[in-house]
Amino acid sequence: MAQDDRTTHRRPDPDALLALAGKDGRGKLTVFLGAAPGVGKTYAMLARARRLKADGVDLVIGLVETHGRSETAALLEGLDVLPRMRVPHRGRMLEEFDLDAALARRPHIVIVDELAHSNPEACRHPKRYQDIEELLGAGIHVWTALNIQHLESLGDLVADITGVVVRERVPDVVLKRADEVLLVDLPPSELIERLKEGKVYLPENAGRAADRFFRLGNLTALRELALRRTADRVDDQMVDYLKQNAIEGPWASGERMIVCVGADTLSEKVVRVASRLASGLNAPWIVVSIERADQEAEGRAGIEQIERIFRLAEQLGAETRRVIGTDFVEEILKLARREHATQIVIGAPRARGWGSSWSKGARPFGSPSLPDALASRASGLGIHLVTGDREEVRTQRGLRRLPLLSRAGLIRAALVAVPLVALATGTGVAIDRIMHLPNISLLFLLAVLGAAVTAGYAAALIAVILSALCYNFFFIAPFYTFTIAAPHEVFALIVFFAVAVIAGGFASRIQEQAATARVRATALQSLYDFSRKLAGTEKAEDAIWAAVSQLQASLRRNVVLLIPDGPDLKIAAAWPPDTELDVTDMTAARWAEDKQEKAGHGTGTLPSSRFEFRPLLSPHGVVGVCGVEQTAERMDVNAERALAAILDQTALAIDRARLSEASVAQAARLEGERYRDALLSSISHDLRTPLATITGSVTSLRQLGDRMSPESRDDLLQSIEEEGSRMSRFVANLLDMTRIEAGTLKARRDWVDVGDVVQSAVERTRRYFPGRIIETGIASDLPLIEGDAVLLGQVLFNLLDNAVKYGGDEPINVYARRDDQDVLISVTDLGKGIPADDIDRVFEKFYRRGKPDGRAPGTGLGLSIARGFVEAMGGRIHAESPAVKKRGTRIVMRFSTNKTAALPLAEPPAGRPT
Amino acid sequence: MTQARILVVDDEPQIQRFLKPALSAAGYEVIEALCGADALKAVATAAPDLVILDLGLPDMDGKDVISSLRGWSDLPIVILSARDRESEKIAALDLGADDYIEKPFGIGELTARIRNALRHRGKADAAPTVMVADGLTIDTVHRLVSRGGEPIRLTPKEYDLLTLLGRHAGRVVTHKTLLTAVWGPAHGEDLHYLRVFIGQLRQKIERDPARPAIVRTEPGVGYRLVVD
Repeated sequence: MAQDDRTTHRRPDPDALLALAGKDGRGKLTVFLGAAPGVGKTYAMLARARRLKADGVDLVIGLVETHGRSETAALLEGLDVLPRMRVPHRGRMLEEFDLDAALARRPHIVIVDELAHSNPEACRHPKRYQDIEELLGAGIHVWTALNIQHLESLGDLVADITGVVVRERVPDVVLKRADEVLLVDLPPSELIERLKEGKVYLPENAGRAADRFFRLGNLTALRELALRRTADRVDDQMVDYLKQNAIEGPWASGERMIVCVGADTLSEKVVRVASRLASGLNAPWIVVSIERADQEAEGRAGIEQIERIFRLAEQLGAETRRVIGTDFVEEILKLARREHATQIVIGAPRARGWGSSWSKGARPFGSPSLPDALASRASGLGIHLVTGDREEVRTQRGLRRLPLLSRAGLIRAALVAVPLVALATGTGVAIDRIMHLPNISLLFLLAVLGAAVTAGYAAALIAVILSALCYNFFFIAPFYTFTIAAPHEVFALIVFFAVAVIAGGFASRIQEQAATARVRATALQSLYDFSRKLAGTEKAEDAIWAAVSQLQASLRRNVVLLIPDGPDLKIAAAWPPDTELDVTDMTAARWAEDKQEKAGHGTGTLPSSRFEFRPLLSPHGVVGVCGVEQTAERMDVNAERALAAILDQTALAIDRARLSEASVAQAARLEGERYRDALLSSISHDLRTPLATITGSVTSLRQLGDRMSPESRDDLLQSIEEEGSRMSRFVANLLDMTRIEAGTLKARRDWVDVGDVVQSAVERTRRYFPGRIIETGIASDLPLIEGDAVLLGQVLFNLLDNAVKYGGDEPINVYARRDDQDVLISVTDLGKGIPADDIDRVFEKFYRRGKPDGRAPGTGLGLSIARGFVEAMGGRIHAESPAVKKRGTRIVMRFSTNKTAALPLAEPPAGRPT
Repeated sequence: MTQARILVVDDEPQIQRFLKPALSAAGYEVIEALCGADALKAVATAAPDLVILDLGLPDMDGKDVISSLRGWSDLPIVILSARDRESEKIAALDLGADDYIEKPFGIGELTARIRNALRHRGKADAAPTVMVADGLTIDTVHRLVSRGGEPIRLTPKEYDLLTLLGRHAGRVVTHKTLLTAVWGPAHGEDLHYLRVFIGQLRQKIERDPARPAIVRTEPGVGYRLVVD
């Protein structure tokens, strides 16, 4: 086994290397750690700064308090000091560290004293360590100073030792992540000496507290804490070094801790104890709260309590989890197995009893059997019990009852309970008049159950008490007094009371569970509807709007959704729609986008914003930011869950929409390229073939003409002429097409005799194709149409040209007739016809039957030009195939003679060519 | 000398219309085919001496006609092609076509290509042992290249390149053919070798290497040695 260990550890530990890599590009944090004020941290920091400054390092003072001490102030001379920012706070102006100035200045090192300082509300972050975190993130090295009593995990310990409660606390992770910790040490006796000489700065009104604080015993204890912390750190660094360099050693503690907490004040202590234990064991730890699946979570107060404990745990460097399950022991053990935990820490309350097992909000970890059950079922796990004192357990109970005692709830409960009991009493009295009923108490039980089912546990309790009183008063002898004569009646009342309490409890629980189930089902249904709605959206915009309305509906709060717009963010949707964000809000939103973490109200960044902003994270990064307006009422667990689910789905929907938009654009581009290729090859083929014929014929005539027969020579000359005119037609077609496309085609509006135009077009076609039979049928009652005779002639020629090309050797028919107010002109050939699939495509540019080359000669423009011209004259054109007996193609044009229908033609809109 | 019989395969009637009288006047017997199937049939039945083939045919690709023909016949094939179909042109040559001519073309150029193709076929690849091109003499018997009696020293690769072009004198030789023959099958795509060696060869044999008269470039296709 030792062999195994050696082989696995010889390579550098990847996690250790990753942690190191994560620090690249970040600034380094140096903490000057002291046991108490006055040990000389600032002095040591400045003295060191002067040495570096002398070496030419770019070092500035972000903020240093000299507290009027001349020896410290003297050290500041010659160092760059950033001007402070003036911040209004409760009517006074405070001078604070100017974070933005430091970021803009970008020094190599910045010194910011007093790590534990709290910023006034107007600042970006509520705590200075958050300012420093941002500086480090920007790649600036930071030096700062900290007294050991400000460390979060030592809070209760320090209070125990010194009797002074420290308010400004720094999460342990800050110190843990510091790259360097310098211990500034001074023996306690010397410190007390300095204090007496007035060399230690103390706030003016801290006299008495200071006297209690600066005692030899206290200072020695604090000094020990500071020394021990520093020693632990050095030990950690040694282990890290060994791991990164793949040096073998007995470092692997391999411990992992799971810490179970619930909504009680003992849990806070559990977390602190666990934190110290974890840091002693050098073990990662997970704080977990387990919620019962079969019952609604703690009341609001309980939720807030758990959240507070989670926040504390996170600050102390723990991971937090919420688990839902019925069997607490099983859930804990499952998590322990999954996380390879070796230690479990759990609170062991002193209170024992079974009463809470059915009442609302049974304590997840308060159940006395839990530690025992864990101990009996866990194997190979260390279990630590943290005991609380009575006071803490009491608080915990009081806390649980809190939601029941809210005044409004009480009134509501009473409003249900009182009439029900009154009704029961009335009915009882009435029945009693008629006949004697021995177990009239059942009526009251009915009232209790009724109250429980309709208004919950509080109503049930009120009903029980009222029922007991009324029962006694009206039905137990002596009547109309609260005294009881017969001993067995006392027993009956007690039994009734007990039965009523238990039955009422169960009934109310059923009612609450049903209500919860309804709420959850509604929430689930609405989430399901939302996801279906999202699945139907194709555009990111639609998904965003759907998300905003869904968020507004399920949270009942104002919401705003922002999406990246170039380097900035813009509001994509909001409820109410005219929501505007001020500078603070926008900065918080940008923060959420940049750092991919929550910002704004209730977070560590810009808590003065009205909104809490969360990034919308998709597999391809941040696709937006969602802001939810926060009110005095915090969001409960259900709302949080809904919010997280909606945001996840929205992010995915936006991401998907973006991808599909990109792929549509890509497809369009490809289609465009294919079209351009086809167009080029078509044009080049159509120009080259006549050109090849002309060149070939001309060179043949020149070089070989004397060896040819006169007929051959004549034929060659004729083919030159024909091909020349073919090319000129093609070029003319291209120009026409260009004019149609550019919108510069102008149709004249003259009175046109359709018959004349048809005749001349047919004659022109006959000249080109002498062998072809073209039959015409022109109705005699044709009205004049308004249009352009030249364009119409061109259209007809194009249609006839097509008919000749595709019509085989069969005759071509041209008809013009009247159809009510319209004039119809049709050209019919008897060729192969057009496949049904292509009938709508024949009017597209460069559509030709056959392959790009190796097909009948033609421009592929004829029909699309025809359509352009016809439409320019206000007419319509369509193709029919087969035309006659499964063969042929008929192209039909329809021109209206109706003045109103032809109105666009008669009065073209100004400024726009028709 | 009997008239050589030429099969013209082109689906464009106007091309056929001028080629027939022109080639007849030039002394050839012309038969026509408007599609690939007709062409294959005509080769089998009418035994032409040469085929002029358009690559764009209505029923099949001109390249398929070449590969079908080359399965059982080695009669000369001259391709009619368009400038924008460079890759098709090369593919056709690599499939075994003898030469190509771009549309539009003069009849003189076409008849020259026809004569060239017919001459090579007639001599069954026995290229002349001594060739003269623009004052340059290539003597393959004595492995001697000289200009005006002055011998020119060529490296073995340059000599191979020159004689390979010489064996196909007057016809285009594709890059791929040259590369495979001189450098081996593994170098069929290494065009830059060829560019460098052709450049060196021209420095040695051309009167004005900047305007080569002997080894002509056929852009994108290959090279052609022009003999007197």
